[in-house]
Amino acid sequence: MSDIYGLVRGPLAVVAILVFVVGIIYQARQFFSLTRERPVVLPPASVLGKVGQSSGPSLNAINNSILGVHPYLTVITSIVHACLVLVPIFLLAHNVLLYESLGFNLFAFPEPVSDAFTLIVILGGVFFFLRRILVRRVRVITTFYDYFILLIVVAPFLTGYLATHQWFDYQTMLIVHILAGEVMLVAIPFTKLKHGLLFFLYRYLMHYEHSLGSGTRVWSYSKLAK
Amino acid sequence: MPDQEKKPVDTAAIASMLKKKEPEMKRVLNYCLRCSICAESCFLYMAHDGDPQYMPSYKVINSLGKLYKKKGNVDREFLEGIKGLVWRNCVLCHRCYCPIGIDIPRMIDFTRSICRSEGVYPEQDGGESWL
Repeated sequence: MSDIYGLVRGPLAVVAILVFVVGIIYQARQFFSLTRERPVVLPPASVLGKVGQSSGPSLNAINNSILGVHPYLTVITSIVHACLVLVPIFLLAHNVLLYESLGFNLFAFPEPVSDAFTLIVILGGVFFFLRRILVRRVRVITTFYDYFILLIVVAPFLTGYLATHQWFDYQTMLIVHILAGEVMLVAIPFTKLKHGLLFFLYRYLMHYEHSLGSGTRVWSYSKLAK
Repeated sequence: MPDQEKKPVDTAAIASMLKKKEPEMKRVLNYCLRCSICAESCFLYMAHDGDPQYMPSYKVINSLGKLYKKKGNVDREFLEGIKGLVWRNCVLCHRCYCPIGIDIPRMIDFTRSICRSEGVYPEQDGGESWL
């Protein structure tokens, strides 16, 4: 058992982290390679400064936003996503491992806080699973792959929680937890989970109706045609 | 379009069109989280009492998504089948809203181009009612 533990904690963990980092860089590079800056067309000088003026966020704009249309879903998904990112980075046990391996550590949440955030992710997973089954409009576009992705995300948190509280054989659960975490790391750049990165690139940099940022990039067809 | 209706579909031409936009399309289709949050941003979805067939993601997944999955190897019946999704169920008003930034109207527009290249489009007079 200790051999397997050594393998998953050592070489496999290094491979998973490398694949994650290289994969994320690859996806970002692909994005910038397949898109290009769009020439900015300014209005005539006579009206420049008078167009596009906003009186600030209006109630109507908020009502029509995702927050306005789906307030509960927006709050739930935002909290779950925040916990999903924060827990692995600021977990005490992970920081102890980080210190043992590299000689430094980050700030760590108190264990009850980590426990609560982990439970939020697990319950969030249950919520999204039930939503896929029970809500008709989600069900009609859901495939097996979507459930599989959900499992990849929830598995490290569930196994981590079970290992921490030693509900089953600790050593086995720990190995399963580390493996699940490594699978998730490898999956992030190459599955839908890459939306963690691409969300910011698409929503802020791509030119389209609902761009949140400058929206100055468009797909580059000369490159796409190759 | 009696002649077009009899003409077999040029699958190579469709495959070539798909290939041309593959990097963008592949990303968009693989990237969709199928969350259905785009639904309420479509006025046709709202006007049809929440019929999922009017949901922007449903329209793309079941038209371009299927075309891409079949690599363009489709028959006229298939194109006629998705015609309603990309013309009747969508007016390309560009108001649909994807939380992760997929430009859905571009995909519908592209599907229309593919259909149109094979002579599949709604008839302006006569033909079936779109209402």
